[in-house]
Amino acid sequence: MKFFDCNMSFGTSMIRPIRYAETAQNLLEEMDYCSIDEALVYHARQRDDSPVIGNDMLLNEIEAFNRLHGTLAILPLQTEELGTMETIVRKMKERNIRAFRAFPAEHRYLMTRTSLAPLYDLMVERNIPLFIDITQSCGGISGWHLVSTILSEVPDLTLVVTEHGPWGHDRYFRPLIEKHENLHLDTSRYELDGGITDFCKKYGAVKLLFGTGYPKWNPGGPKLTLAGADITTKERRKIASGNLERLLRRVKM
Amino acid sequence: MRVSQLTKEFMKEGRSESCPVIDMHAHLGPYQGIYFPNPTSEDMIRTMDRCGVKLAVSSSHASLIDTKANLEMAKVVKKYPDMFRAYWVINPNYPERTKDEVAHFSEMEGFVGFKFLSDYHKYPITSPRYEPALKYADEKGLLVLMHTWGNSPYDSPSLVEKLAEEYRNAKLLMGHSGYGEWEKAIQVGKDYPNVYLELCAAYTVNGVIEWMVKEAGSQKILFGTDLPWFDPHYGIGCVLFSRITDEDRHDILHRNAEKLIKPHLRTSAR
Repeated sequence: MKFFDCNMSFGTSMIRPIRYAETAQNLLEEMDYCSIDEALVYHARQRDDSPVIGNDMLLNEIEAFNRLHGTLAILPLQTEELGTMETIVRKMKERNIRAFRAFPAEHRYLMTRTSLAPLYDLMVERNIPLFIDITQSCGGISGWHLVSTILSEVPDLTLVVTEHGPWGHDRYFRPLIEKHENLHLDTSRYELDGGITDFCKKYGAVKLLFGTGYPKWNPGGPKLTLAGADITTKERRKIASGNLERLLRRVKM
Repeated sequence: MRVSQLTKEFMKEGRSESCPVIDMHAHLGPYQGIYFPNPTSEDMIRTMDRCGVKLAVSSSHASLIDTKANLEMAKVVKKYPDMFRAYWVINPNYPERTKDEVAHFSEMEGFVGFKFLSDYHKYPITSPRYEPALKYADEKGLLVLMHTWGNSPYDSPSLVEKLAEEYRNAKLLMGHSGYGEWEKAIQVGKDYPNVYLELCAAYTVNGVIEWMVKEAGSQKILFGTDLPWFDPHYGIGCVLFSRITDEDRHDILHRNAEKLIKPHLRTSAR
Protein backbone atom coordinates (compact mmCIF):
# COMPACT_ATOMS: atom_id res chain seq x y z
CA MET A 1 0.00 0.00 0.00
CA LYS A 2 1.28 3.43 -0.92
CA PHE A 3 1.72 5.95 1.92
CA PHE A 4 1.57 9.62 0.89
CA ASP A 5 2.20 11.74 3.98
CA CYS A 6 0.36 15.08 3.91
CA ASN A 7 2.21 16.55 6.87
CA MET A 8 6.00 16.40 6.99
CA SER A 9 8.60 19.04 7.54
CA PHE A 10 12.38 19.32 7.35
CA GLY A 11 15.08 21.91 7.94
CA THR A 12 16.64 23.48 11.00
CA SER A 13 14.03 25.05 13.26
CA MET A 14 14.39 27.55 16.08
CA ILE A 15 13.48 24.94 18.70
CA ARG A 16 15.39 21.75 18.01
CA PRO A 17 13.24 18.62 17.84
CA ILE A 18 14.76 15.51 19.42
CA ARG A 19 15.06 13.96 15.96
CA TYR A 20 14.78 15.81 12.67
CA ALA A 21 15.84 15.91 9.02
CA GLU A 22 18.09 18.85 8.24
CA THR A 23 17.86 18.52 4.46
CA ALA A 24 15.42 17.16 1.91
CA GLN A 25 17.81 14.26 1.34
CA ASN A 26 17.77 13.50 5.08
CA LEU A 27 13.98 13.56 5.01
CA LEU A 28 13.93 11.03 2.19
CA GLU A 29 16.13 8.75 4.30
CA GLU A 30 13.65 9.05 7.17
CA MET A 31 10.79 8.31 4.79
CA ASP A 32 12.63 5.23 3.52
CA TYR A 33 13.06 3.93 7.08
CA CYS A 34 9.31 4.30 7.66
CA SER A 35 8.30 3.11 4.17
CA ILE A 36 6.60 6.39 3.32
CA ASP A 37 6.50 6.78 -0.45
CA GLU A 38 5.77 10.47 -1.00
CA ALA A 39 5.16 13.52 1.14
CA LEU A 40 3.65 16.97 1.02
CA VAL A 41 6.23 19.02 2.88
CA TYR A 42 7.17 22.40 4.25
CA HIS A 43 10.51 23.76 5.41
CA ALA A 44 10.90 24.74 9.08
CA ARG A 45 12.06 28.18 7.92
CA GLN A 46 8.68 28.74 6.25
CA ARG A 47 7.25 28.77 9.76
CA ASP A 48 10.13 30.07 11.90
CA ASP A 49 11.41 32.70 9.47
CA SER A 50 9.76 35.03 6.97
CA PRO A 51 7.90 33.05 4.31
CA VAL A 52 9.83 35.16 1.80
CA ILE A 53 12.96 33.30 2.91
CA GLY A 54 11.34 29.98 3.77
CA ASN A 55 9.30 29.51 0.60
CA ASP A 56 12.37 29.87 -1.60
CA MET A 57 14.41 27.59 0.65
CA LEU A 58 11.74 24.92 0.31
CA LEU A 59 11.49 25.22 -3.46
CA ASN A 60 15.24 25.04 -3.92
CA GLU A 61 15.66 22.09 -1.55
CA ILE A 62 12.96 19.86 -3.02
CA GLU A 63 13.58 20.66 -6.68
CA ALA A 64 15.59 17.51 -7.33
CA PHE A 65 13.24 15.10 -5.53
CA ASN A 66 10.02 14.02 -7.18
CA ARG A 67 8.82 12.22 -4.02
CA LEU A 68 8.56 15.56 -2.20
CA HIS A 69 5.74 17.98 -2.98
CA GLY A 70 5.91 21.51 -1.67
CA THR A 71 3.48 23.86 0.03
CA LEU A 72 3.78 27.65 0.03
CA ALA A 73 3.32 29.60 3.26
CA ILE A 74 0.86 32.46 2.83
CA LEU A 75 0.79 36.08 4.00
CA PRO A 76 -1.74 38.85 3.38
CA LEU A 77 -0.95 40.28 -0.05
CA GLN A 78 -1.30 43.87 1.16
CA THR A 79 2.32 44.01 2.35
CA GLU A 80 3.48 42.69 -1.06
CA GLU A 81 6.20 40.56 0.58
CA LEU A 82 5.17 37.54 -1.47
CA GLY A 83 4.71 39.64 -4.62
CA THR A 84 1.46 40.01 -6.50
CA MET A 85 -1.19 37.39 -7.10
CA GLU A 86 0.25 36.95 -10.59
CA THR A 87 3.75 36.22 -9.32
CA ILE A 88 2.43 33.73 -6.79
CA VAL A 89 0.40 31.88 -9.43
CA ARG A 90 3.34 31.91 -11.83
CA LYS A 91 5.65 30.47 -9.18
CA MET A 92 3.14 27.77 -8.35
CA LYS A 93 2.78 26.81 -11.99
CA GLU A 94 6.53 26.79 -12.60
CA ARG A 95 7.34 24.75 -9.49
CA ASN A 96 4.22 22.56 -9.56
CA ILE A 97 3.02 23.73 -6.13
CA ARG A 98 -0.52 22.64 -5.33
CA ALA A 99 -1.10 23.53 -1.69
CA PHE A 100 -0.76 26.37 0.79
CA ARG A 101 0.07 26.40 4.50
CA ALA A 102 -0.87 29.01 7.05
CA PHE A 103 1.15 29.94 10.15
CA PRO A 104 -0.85 32.95 11.41
CA ALA A 105 0.55 32.74 14.94
CA GLU A 106 4.20 33.04 13.89
CA HIS A 107 3.54 35.41 10.97
CA ARG A 108 0.99 37.57 12.80
CA TYR A 109 -2.00 38.10 10.54
CA LEU A 110 -5.71 37.52 10.76
CA MET A 111 -7.30 34.71 8.80
CA THR A 112 -10.26 36.83 7.80
CA ARG A 113 -11.52 37.72 4.35
CA THR A 114 -10.45 41.30 5.06
CA SER A 115 -6.85 40.08 5.25
CA LEU A 116 -6.85 37.18 2.81
CA ALA A 117 -9.77 37.61 0.37
CA PRO A 118 -7.76 37.45 -2.90
CA LEU A 119 -5.88 34.35 -1.71
CA TYR A 120 -9.03 32.70 -0.40
CA ASP A 121 -10.74 33.38 -3.73
CA LEU A 122 -7.78 31.88 -5.58
CA MET A 123 -7.91 28.78 -3.38
CA VAL A 124 -11.63 28.30 -3.96
CA GLU A 125 -11.53 28.99 -7.73
CA ARG A 126 -8.59 26.66 -8.31
CA ASN A 127 -9.35 24.06 -5.60
CA ILE A 128 -6.05 24.70 -3.84
CA PRO A 129 -6.08 23.11 -0.38
CA LEU A 130 -4.95 25.11 2.64
CA PHE A 131 -3.20 23.26 5.47
CA ILE A 132 -3.21 24.52 9.04
CA ASP A 133 -2.29 22.79 12.27
CA ILE A 134 -4.68 22.94 15.19
CA THR A 135 -2.21 24.70 17.48
CA GLN A 136 -2.36 27.82 15.31
CA SER A 137 -4.04 30.99 16.57
CA CYS A 138 -4.66 34.57 15.49
CA GLY A 139 -6.52 37.59 16.75
CA GLY A 140 -7.29 35.93 20.07
CA ILE A 141 -8.90 32.81 18.64
CA SER A 142 -7.36 29.42 18.22
CA GLY A 143 -7.95 25.74 17.59
CA TRP A 144 -11.36 24.63 16.39
CA HIS A 145 -12.82 28.10 16.99
CA LEU A 146 -10.32 29.42 14.43
CA VAL A 147 -11.18 26.60 12.00
CA SER A 148 -14.88 27.31 12.44
CA THR A 149 -14.31 31.02 11.82
CA ILE A 150 -12.28 30.40 8.66
CA LEU A 151 -14.93 28.09 7.23
CA SER A 152 -17.74 30.46 8.16
CA GLU A 153 -16.05 33.14 6.10
CA VAL A 154 -14.92 30.84 3.26
CA PRO A 155 -17.31 27.87 3.26
CA ASP A 156 -16.06 26.43 -0.03
CA LEU A 157 -12.41 26.39 1.02
CA THR A 158 -10.65 23.01 0.99
CA LEU A 159 -9.13 23.08 4.46
CA VAL A 160 -6.94 20.35 5.92
CA VAL A 161 -6.50 20.54 9.70
CA THR A 162 -3.43 18.71 10.95
CA GLU A 163 -2.29 17.38 14.32
CA HIS A 164 -5.67 17.72 15.97
CA GLY A 165 -4.42 16.12 19.13
CA PRO A 166 -5.33 13.03 21.08
CA TRP A 167 -7.23 14.49 24.03
CA GLY A 168 -10.73 14.03 22.72
CA HIS A 169 -11.27 16.29 19.73
CA ASP A 170 -14.19 14.43 18.13
CA ARG A 171 -16.75 16.55 19.97
CA TYR A 172 -15.08 19.61 18.44
CA PHE A 173 -14.56 18.48 14.87
CA ARG A 174 -17.52 16.22 14.10
CA PRO A 175 -20.05 19.10 13.95
CA LEU A 176 -17.68 20.94 11.59
CA ILE A 177 -17.12 17.83 9.46
CA GLU A 178 -20.89 17.47 9.06
CA LYS A 179 -21.33 21.11 8.14
CA HIS A 180 -18.35 21.69 5.82
CA GLU A 181 -17.96 19.33 2.88
CA ASN A 182 -14.37 20.37 2.14
CA LEU A 183 -12.98 20.08 5.66
CA HIS A 184 -10.39 17.30 5.98
CA LEU A 185 -8.29 16.01 8.88
CA ASP A 186 -4.87 14.43 8.93
CA THR A 187 -4.36 11.30 11.01
CA SER A 188 -1.05 12.23 12.64
CA ARG A 189 -2.58 12.48 16.12
CA TYR A 190 -5.85 10.59 15.63
CA GLU A 191 -4.83 8.14 18.34
CA LEU A 192 -8.31 7.54 19.74
CA ASP A 193 -8.97 3.82 20.05
CA GLY A 194 -11.49 2.98 17.33
CA GLY A 195 -11.42 6.60 16.15
CA ILE A 196 -10.61 6.03 12.47
CA THR A 197 -12.99 3.07 12.29
CA ASP A 198 -15.84 4.97 13.93
CA PHE A 199 -15.20 8.06 11.79
CA CYS A 200 -15.25 6.03 8.56
CA LYS A 201 -18.49 4.28 9.51
CA LYS A 202 -20.20 7.62 9.97
CA TYR A 203 -18.57 9.86 7.38
CA GLY A 204 -16.73 7.54 4.99
CA ALA A 205 -13.00 7.63 4.38
CA VAL A 206 -12.72 10.63 2.05
CA LYS A 207 -12.10 13.27 4.72
CA LEU A 208 -9.09 11.67 6.37
CA LEU A 209 -5.54 12.05 5.05
CA PHE A 210 -2.57 10.06 6.26
CA GLY A 211 -0.11 12.34 8.00
CA THR A 212 2.68 11.90 10.52
CA GLY A 213 3.60 15.39 11.69
CA TYR A 214 7.29 14.49 11.31
CA PRO A 215 9.67 15.59 12.83
CA LYS A 216 7.69 16.45 15.95
CA TRP A 217 5.80 13.17 16.12
CA ASN A 218 6.83 9.55 15.67
CA PRO A 219 5.68 8.36 12.21
CA GLY A 220 5.26 4.77 13.41
CA GLY A 221 2.13 5.62 15.40
CA PRO A 222 -0.09 6.84 12.55
CA LYS A 223 1.34 4.16 10.24
CA LEU A 224 0.41 1.14 12.33
CA THR A 225 -2.86 2.75 13.47
CA LEU A 226 -4.01 3.09 9.87
CA ALA A 227 -2.65 -0.33 8.87
CA GLY A 228 -4.55 -1.96 11.74
CA ALA A 229 -7.81 0.01 11.63
CA ASP A 230 -10.97 -2.05 11.22
CA ILE A 231 -11.88 -0.55 7.82
CA THR A 232 -11.96 -1.89 4.27
CA THR A 233 -8.85 -2.08 2.10
CA LYS A 234 -10.42 0.51 -0.20
CA GLU A 235 -10.94 2.92 2.70
CA ARG A 236 -7.40 2.31 3.95
CA ARG A 237 -5.94 3.11 0.52
CA LYS A 238 -7.97 6.30 0.28
CA ILE A 239 -6.62 7.53 3.61
CA ALA A 240 -3.06 6.32 2.97
CA SER A 241 -2.67 8.13 -0.34
CA GLY A 242 -5.80 8.30 -2.51
CA ASN A 243 -7.49 11.25 -0.83
CA LEU A 244 -4.41 13.47 -0.95
CA GLU A 245 -3.71 12.50 -4.55
CA ARG A 246 -7.32 13.39 -5.41
CA LEU A 247 -7.06 16.78 -3.69
CA LEU A 248 -3.84 17.62 -5.49
CA ARG A 249 -5.10 16.31 -8.84
CA ARG A 250 -8.15 18.54 -8.83
CA VAL A 251 -6.08 21.71 -8.36
CA LYS A 252 -6.47 23.86 -11.47
CA MET A 253 -3.17 25.62 -12.18
CA MET B 1 17.93 -4.46 7.48
CA ARG B 2 15.74 -1.38 7.67
CA VAL B 3 12.44 -2.92 8.76
CA SER B 4 12.61 -5.56 11.48
CA GLN B 5 10.79 -8.87 11.36
CA LEU B 6 8.68 -7.77 14.30
CA THR B 7 7.64 -4.59 12.50
CA LYS B 8 6.77 -6.55 9.36
CA GLU B 9 4.65 -8.95 11.42
CA PHE B 10 2.70 -6.18 13.15
CA MET B 11 2.19 -4.28 9.89
CA LYS B 12 0.85 -7.40 8.19
CA GLU B 13 -1.09 -9.10 10.98
CA GLY B 14 -1.73 -6.25 13.42
CA ARG B 15 -0.27 -8.39 16.18
CA SER B 16 2.60 -10.73 16.92
CA GLU B 17 2.51 -14.19 18.42
CA SER B 18 6.12 -13.87 19.53
CA CYS B 19 5.60 -10.45 21.07
CA PRO B 20 2.40 -10.40 23.13
CA VAL B 21 1.97 -6.88 24.49
CA ILE B 22 1.26 -5.96 28.12
CA ASP B 23 -0.40 -2.59 28.70
CA MET B 24 0.73 -1.28 32.08
CA HIS B 25 -1.34 1.92 31.94
CA ALA B 26 -4.99 1.44 31.08
CA HIS B 27 -8.36 2.67 32.28
CA LEU B 28 -12.00 1.66 31.77
CA GLY B 29 -15.34 3.34 31.07
CA PRO B 30 -16.45 6.76 29.83
CA TYR B 31 -14.78 9.98 30.99
CA GLN B 32 -15.43 13.71 31.10
CA GLY B 33 -13.54 15.33 28.23
CA ILE B 34 -13.52 12.73 25.50
CA TYR B 35 -15.73 10.58 23.29
CA PHE B 36 -14.72 6.91 23.44
CA PRO B 37 -15.98 4.51 20.75
CA ASN B 38 -14.78 1.56 22.86
CA PRO B 39 -15.15 2.25 26.60
CA THR B 40 -16.39 -1.04 28.09
CA SER B 41 -14.32 -4.00 29.22
CA GLU B 42 -15.73 -6.04 26.31
CA ASP B 43 -14.83 -3.26 23.85
CA MET B 44 -11.36 -3.11 25.31
CA ILE B 45 -10.90 -6.87 24.98
CA ARG B 46 -11.83 -6.63 21.29
CA THR B 47 -9.21 -3.92 20.83
CA MET B 48 -6.64 -5.90 22.80
CA ASP B 49 -7.23 -8.99 20.67
CA ARG B 50 -6.95 -6.95 17.47
CA CYS B 51 -3.60 -5.49 18.58
CA GLY B 52 -2.13 -8.53 20.31
CA VAL B 53 -2.34 -7.08 23.82
CA LYS B 54 -2.56 -10.02 26.22
CA LEU B 55 -3.07 -8.14 29.47
CA ALA B 56 -4.03 -4.63 30.59
CA VAL B 57 -3.49 -3.21 34.06
CA SER B 58 -6.26 -0.67 34.58
CA SER B 59 -7.82 1.84 36.92
CA SER B 60 -11.40 2.72 36.05
CA HIS B 61 -12.15 6.33 35.18
CA ALA B 62 -14.89 6.37 37.79
CA SER B 63 -12.38 5.41 40.48
CA LEU B 64 -10.25 8.44 39.61
CA ILE B 65 -13.17 10.50 40.91
CA ASP B 66 -14.65 8.28 43.64
CA THR B 67 -12.43 5.57 45.08
CA LYS B 68 -15.46 3.46 45.96
CA ALA B 69 -15.54 2.69 42.23
CA ASN B 70 -12.26 0.79 42.58
CA LEU B 71 -14.50 -2.18 43.21
CA GLU B 72 -15.62 -1.96 39.55
CA MET B 73 -12.15 -3.06 38.49
CA ALA B 74 -12.25 -5.95 40.96
CA LYS B 75 -15.38 -7.18 39.19
CA VAL B 76 -13.76 -6.80 35.77
CA VAL B 77 -10.65 -8.71 36.86
CA LYS B 78 -12.84 -11.43 38.34
CA LYS B 79 -14.84 -11.67 35.10
CA TYR B 80 -11.80 -11.55 32.78
CA PRO B 81 -8.85 -12.84 34.85
CA ASP B 82 -6.81 -13.62 31.76
CA MET B 83 -7.09 -10.10 30.36
CA PHE B 84 -7.06 -7.61 33.25
CA ARG B 85 -5.27 -6.65 36.42
CA ALA B 86 -5.93 -3.46 38.36
CA TYR B 87 -4.47 -0.53 40.25
CA TRP B 88 -6.27 0.78 43.33
CA VAL B 89 -6.68 4.54 42.92
CA ILE B 90 -5.74 6.68 45.92
CA ASN B 91 -7.52 10.05 45.99
CA PRO B 92 -5.73 12.32 48.47
CA ASN B 93 -8.77 14.58 48.65
CA TYR B 94 -10.38 11.89 50.81
CA PRO B 95 -7.56 10.96 53.21
CA GLU B 96 -9.96 9.42 55.70
CA ARG B 97 -10.59 6.66 53.17
CA THR B 98 -6.97 5.89 52.36
CA LYS B 99 -6.06 4.21 55.66
CA ASP B 100 -9.01 1.84 55.38
CA GLU B 101 -8.38 1.15 51.69
CA VAL B 102 -4.76 0.26 52.39
CA ALA B 103 -5.77 -1.94 55.33
CA HIS B 104 -8.08 -3.96 53.13
CA PHE B 105 -5.84 -3.95 50.05
CA SER B 106 -4.59 -7.51 50.53
CA GLU B 107 -8.14 -8.81 50.42
CA MET B 108 -8.77 -7.38 46.98
CA GLU B 109 -7.69 -9.92 44.41
CA GLY B 110 -6.36 -8.74 41.08
CA PHE B 111 -4.80 -5.47 42.26
CA VAL B 112 -1.06 -5.17 41.66
CA GLY B 113 -0.63 -1.83 43.42
CA PHE B 114 -1.80 1.77 43.52
CA LYS B 115 -2.51 4.55 41.04
CA PHE B 116 -1.86 8.25 41.78
CA LEU B 117 -3.30 11.03 39.58
CA SER B 118 -1.75 13.98 41.35
CA ASP B 119 -1.99 16.58 38.55
CA TYR B 120 -5.76 16.16 38.67
CA HIS B 121 -6.18 15.51 42.40
CA LYS B 122 -4.00 18.57 43.15
CA TYR B 123 -1.82 17.07 45.87
CA PRO B 124 1.89 16.45 45.21
CA ILE B 125 3.02 12.84 45.22
CA THR B 126 5.23 13.78 48.17
CA SER B 127 2.18 14.78 50.25
CA PRO B 128 1.73 12.92 53.55
CA ARG B 129 -1.69 11.96 52.23
CA TYR B 130 -0.04 9.38 49.99
CA GLU B 131 2.19 7.98 52.76
CA PRO B 132 -0.03 5.08 53.90
CA ALA B 133 -0.20 3.71 50.35
CA LEU B 134 3.49 4.30 49.65
CA LYS B 135 4.60 2.66 52.89
CA TYR B 136 2.38 -0.34 52.21
CA ALA B 137 3.60 -0.60 48.62
CA ASP B 138 7.19 -0.38 49.81
CA GLU B 139 6.66 -3.05 52.43
CA LYS B 140 5.04 -5.44 49.95
CA GLY B 141 7.01 -4.52 46.84
CA LEU B 142 3.85 -3.36 45.03
CA LEU B 143 3.59 -1.26 41.89
CA VAL B 144 2.69 2.43 42.11
CA LEU B 145 1.67 3.95 38.77
CA MET B 146 1.87 7.72 38.97
CA HIS B 147 0.68 10.16 36.34
CA THR B 148 3.83 12.25 35.87
CA TRP B 149 4.32 15.40 33.82
CA GLY B 150 7.27 17.64 33.14
CA ASN B 151 7.68 20.62 35.51
CA SER B 152 4.44 19.79 37.31
CA PRO B 153 4.22 21.01 40.91
CA TYR B 154 2.40 17.75 41.69
CA ASP B 155 4.21 14.93 39.90
CA SER B 156 7.36 16.06 38.09
CA PRO B 157 10.31 13.69 37.65
CA SER B 158 12.12 15.57 40.43
CA LEU B 159 9.31 14.71 42.84
CA VAL B 160 9.48 11.07 41.74
CA GLU B 161 13.18 11.19 42.57
CA LYS B 162 12.34 12.31 46.12
CA LEU B 163 10.02 9.33 46.52
CA ALA B 164 12.64 7.00 45.04
CA GLU B 165 15.13 8.16 47.66
CA GLU B 166 12.71 7.16 50.42
CA TYR B 167 10.92 4.13 49.01
CA ARG B 168 13.44 1.67 47.59
CA ASN B 169 11.27 -1.45 47.40
CA ALA B 170 8.04 -0.17 45.84
CA LYS B 171 8.09 -0.25 42.04
CA LEU B 172 7.56 3.37 40.97
CA LEU B 173 6.11 3.65 37.46
CA MET B 174 6.41 7.12 35.94
CA GLY B 175 3.24 7.27 33.86
CA HIS B 176 3.85 9.31 30.69
CA SER B 177 7.56 9.39 31.64
CA GLY B 178 7.32 12.92 33.05
CA TYR B 179 6.14 14.14 29.64
CA GLY B 180 8.27 16.97 28.31
CA GLU B 181 10.95 16.95 31.01
CA TRP B 182 12.69 14.09 29.27
CA GLU B 183 16.25 14.58 30.44
CA LYS B 184 15.31 14.57 34.12
CA ALA B 185 12.84 11.70 33.73
CA ILE B 186 15.43 9.56 31.96
CA GLN B 187 18.02 10.36 34.62
CA VAL B 188 15.64 9.29 37.40
CA GLY B 189 14.72 6.14 35.49
CA LYS B 190 18.41 5.37 35.03
CA ASP B 191 19.60 6.16 38.56
CA TYR B 192 16.97 4.33 40.61
CA PRO B 193 16.55 0.58 40.14
CA ASN B 194 12.90 0.69 41.25
CA VAL B 195 11.84 3.54 38.92
CA TYR B 196 10.43 2.77 35.46
CA LEU B 197 9.61 4.99 32.47
CA GLU B 198 6.09 4.27 31.23
CA LEU B 199 5.51 5.29 27.63
CA CYS B 200 1.82 6.26 27.37
CA ALA B 201 1.62 9.52 25.34
CA ALA B 202 5.41 9.90 25.59
CA TYR B 203 5.84 7.51 22.67
CA THR B 204 4.34 10.08 20.30
CA VAL B 205 7.35 12.37 20.62
CA ASN B 206 9.74 11.48 17.83
CA GLY B 207 13.11 10.27 19.07
CA VAL B 208 12.27 10.01 22.74
CA ILE B 209 12.15 6.20 22.78
CA GLU B 210 15.64 5.99 21.28
CA TRP B 211 16.85 8.49 23.89
CA MET B 212 15.36 6.45 26.74
CA VAL B 213 16.81 3.20 25.45
CA LYS B 214 20.24 4.73 24.96
CA GLU B 215 20.42 6.39 28.38
CA ALA B 216 18.25 4.36 30.74
CA GLY B 217 18.19 1.03 28.87
CA SER B 218 15.24 -0.84 27.41
CA GLN B 219 14.81 -2.82 30.64
CA LYS B 220 13.60 0.33 32.41
CA ILE B 221 10.80 1.11 29.95
CA LEU B 222 7.18 -0.07 30.10
CA PHE B 223 4.40 0.12 27.54
CA GLY B 224 1.02 1.76 28.27
CA THR B 225 -1.82 3.30 26.30
CA ASP B 226 -4.45 4.86 28.59
CA LEU B 227 -6.89 2.48 26.83
CA PRO B 228 -9.76 3.18 26.03
CA TRP B 229 -8.08 6.48 25.12
CA PHE B 230 -5.41 5.48 22.64
CA ASP B 231 -5.34 2.74 20.04
CA PRO B 232 -2.57 0.34 21.17
CA HIS B 233 -1.41 0.23 17.55
CA TYR B 234 -0.41 3.88 17.82
CA GLY B 235 1.99 3.27 20.70
CA ILE B 236 3.17 -0.09 19.37
CA GLY B 237 3.90 1.57 16.01
CA CYS B 238 6.01 4.21 17.74
CA VAL B 239 8.04 1.49 19.46
CA LEU B 240 8.37 -0.54 16.25
CA PHE B 241 9.55 2.38 14.09
CA SER B 242 12.05 3.71 16.64
CA ARG B 243 15.72 2.98 15.92
CA ILE B 244 16.14 0.29 18.54
CA THR B 245 16.61 -3.48 18.33
CA ASP B 246 13.90 -6.12 18.39
CA GLU B 247 15.31 -7.23 21.77
CA ASP B 248 14.66 -3.71 23.06
CA ARG B 249 11.13 -3.88 21.61
CA HIS B 250 10.43 -7.18 23.39
CA ASP B 251 11.70 -5.67 26.67
CA ILE B 252 9.44 -2.63 26.31
CA LEU B 253 6.32 -4.31 24.97
CA HIS B 254 6.12 -7.26 27.38
CA ARG B 255 9.24 -8.67 29.08
CA ASN B 256 9.71 -5.92 31.67
CA ALA B 257 6.01 -5.95 32.54
CA GLU B 258 6.00 -9.73 32.90
CA LYS B 259 8.79 -9.50 35.46
CA LEU B 260 7.02 -6.78 37.42
CA ILE B 261 3.56 -8.29 37.67
CA LYS B 262 4.47 -11.95 37.97
CA PRO B 263 4.97 -11.86 41.77
CA HIS B 264 1.57 -10.23 42.22
CA LEU B 265 -0.55 -12.54 40.11
CA ARG B 266 -2.99 -14.50 42.22
CA THR B 267 -4.73 -15.87 39.18
CA SER B 268 -2.87 -16.95 36.09
CA ALA B 269 -2.52 -14.50 33.22
CA ARG B 270 -3.05 -15.69 29.69
